[in-house]
Amino acid sequence: MNTPRKPSHPTPPARPEGEHEVKGVPFRDAGEAEQEAPPTPAVASAPPRVTWQKLTILPAVLAIGLLITWLWFRNAELDSIAENALAGGIVWLRLRQHIELTVISTFFVLIIAIPLGILLTRKKLRGAAPVAMAFANIGQATPAIGLLALLVIWMGIGMRAALFGIVIYAVLPVLSNTIAGLKANDPTLLEAARGIGMSPLGVLGKVELPLAVPLILAGVRTALVLNVGTATLATFGGGGGLGDLITTGITNQRMSILILGSILTVALALLVDWLASLAELLLRPRGLEVRS
Amino acid sequence: MNFWDYLGNRHQQLLTDAFQHASAVFQCMVVATLIGVVIGVVTYRSEWAGSLATTATSTILTVPSLAMIGLLIPIVGLGVAPTVIALTLYGLLPIVRNAIVGLRGVDPALVDAAKGIGMSRTARLLRVELPLAWPPILTGIRVSTQMLMGIAAIAAYASGPGLGNEIFRGIGSLGSKNALNQVLAGTLGIIILALLFDAAYVLIGRLTIPRGIRA
Repeated sequence: MNTPRKPSHPTPPARPEGEHEVKGVPFRDAGEAEQEAPPTPAVASAPPRVTWQKLTILPAVLAIGLLITWLWFRNAELDSIAENALAGGIVWLRLRQHIELTVISTFFVLIIAIPLGILLTRKKLRGAAPVAMAFANIGQATPAIGLLALLVIWMGIGMRAALFGIVIYAVLPVLSNTIAGLKANDPTLLEAARGIGMSPLGVLGKVELPLAVPLILAGVRTALVLNVGTATLATFGGGGGLGDLITTGITNQRMSILILGSILTVALALLVDWLASLAELLLRPRGLEVRS
Repeated sequence: MNFWDYLGNRHQQLLTDAFQHASAVFQCMVVATLIGVVIGVVTYRSEWAGSLATTATSTILTVPSLAMIGLLIPIVGLGVAPTVIALTLYGLLPIVRNAIVGLRGVDPALVDAAKGIGMSRTARLLRVELPLAWPPILTGIRVSTQMLMGIAAIAAYASGPGLGNEIFRGIGSLGSKNALNQVLAGTLGIIILALLFDAAYVLIGRLTIPRGIRA
């Protein structure tokens, strides 16, 4: 027998070929029909937030992938150019730079975008929100590499220009997410909060922000994933990072360096996304989980 | 040389680059849309296949584009091939996800009614479900296109076509007088292309979304 469908899932039950439908109730076998048919009122026993599959599959795949890469790389024949390019622990240095770029830029993205999103949804500034959104749309059309190149010309080569570029590029999506989420809060809840005499700050701190926590976490994840990607471009402005290995591989025509750099980048990106998705699941307030 | 002189001098080259950029993105979008909708149609009925398709495509999206191109180069070499493959892969995700969401969002009563008047499975899909799911799919196409504009610029590093070449020429000649002009021309060109595409999609939406479900 199939595993029971999660009762809180919003999508309508899928109907495989050959299954009949009687008065809107999928008719397969008694047990299954009972589980699927009525919209279960509330989640009786909350399912565990993090399943073991989620905890293990991705790290296992990554570990195997990295192990294979390491074994392959140990046996790969490197000529002098490739060896010079990788000498002196350069791989670790690039990896560390990449993580630094990602973490620092994400920090700045969050402390800029989330307060700004809150400000732009206040009554007094609400008029400015569409302008900000239009701005965000144009920003999204800007290619990251172009933005980075302009900053490098303006500020000179180095990590600083790269950091600025990464932050600017990620602020807009996180900002528009935050605005959209705060706007989506049920206005009757805010009305009720004001009705019982809460101050505007109280409404924000005790009602709006807690309701927006999932959204803010989603913003963190978006920023992290975007920044890992944009940080690969830092190399074009002399900012280091794993992109450096990739470009070295391409310009020197050394496929082993190219592959090593690419695989490390992919692994880091997937790992960061996985960690962020775990945080998203674990930090979400319990009260917001029951959605029928 | 100021920016306008630069544009005047190089407009031939810039227009060629812009045309190649647009045509690469457009062709990859067509392929990605076809594949994406087919994946959506095949998977939306089953819970696990749908989530497998979504997970697989979103994993691809998590991979930084430079790394994806880096992994493709040893397999297919430099030039147009890695560009086209990378663009198509990245273009898939928003389309697959929105196709699945859109197809699942179709009111089952409508599909039932179509079945009731004797429409075959294919006819139901083509004449009822897909037209109803078309607005979210079109949104997915818009999102994909914007994203591909930027990725195509990066692909120029692997000798791909398009305006990215202009940007990389600028990076390569940092410090020279023309560096800023080149980077600016490439970047603005891509922004303009992205906005033009977006306008075209609004128009396509007007023309193709069935009258009955227009917002």
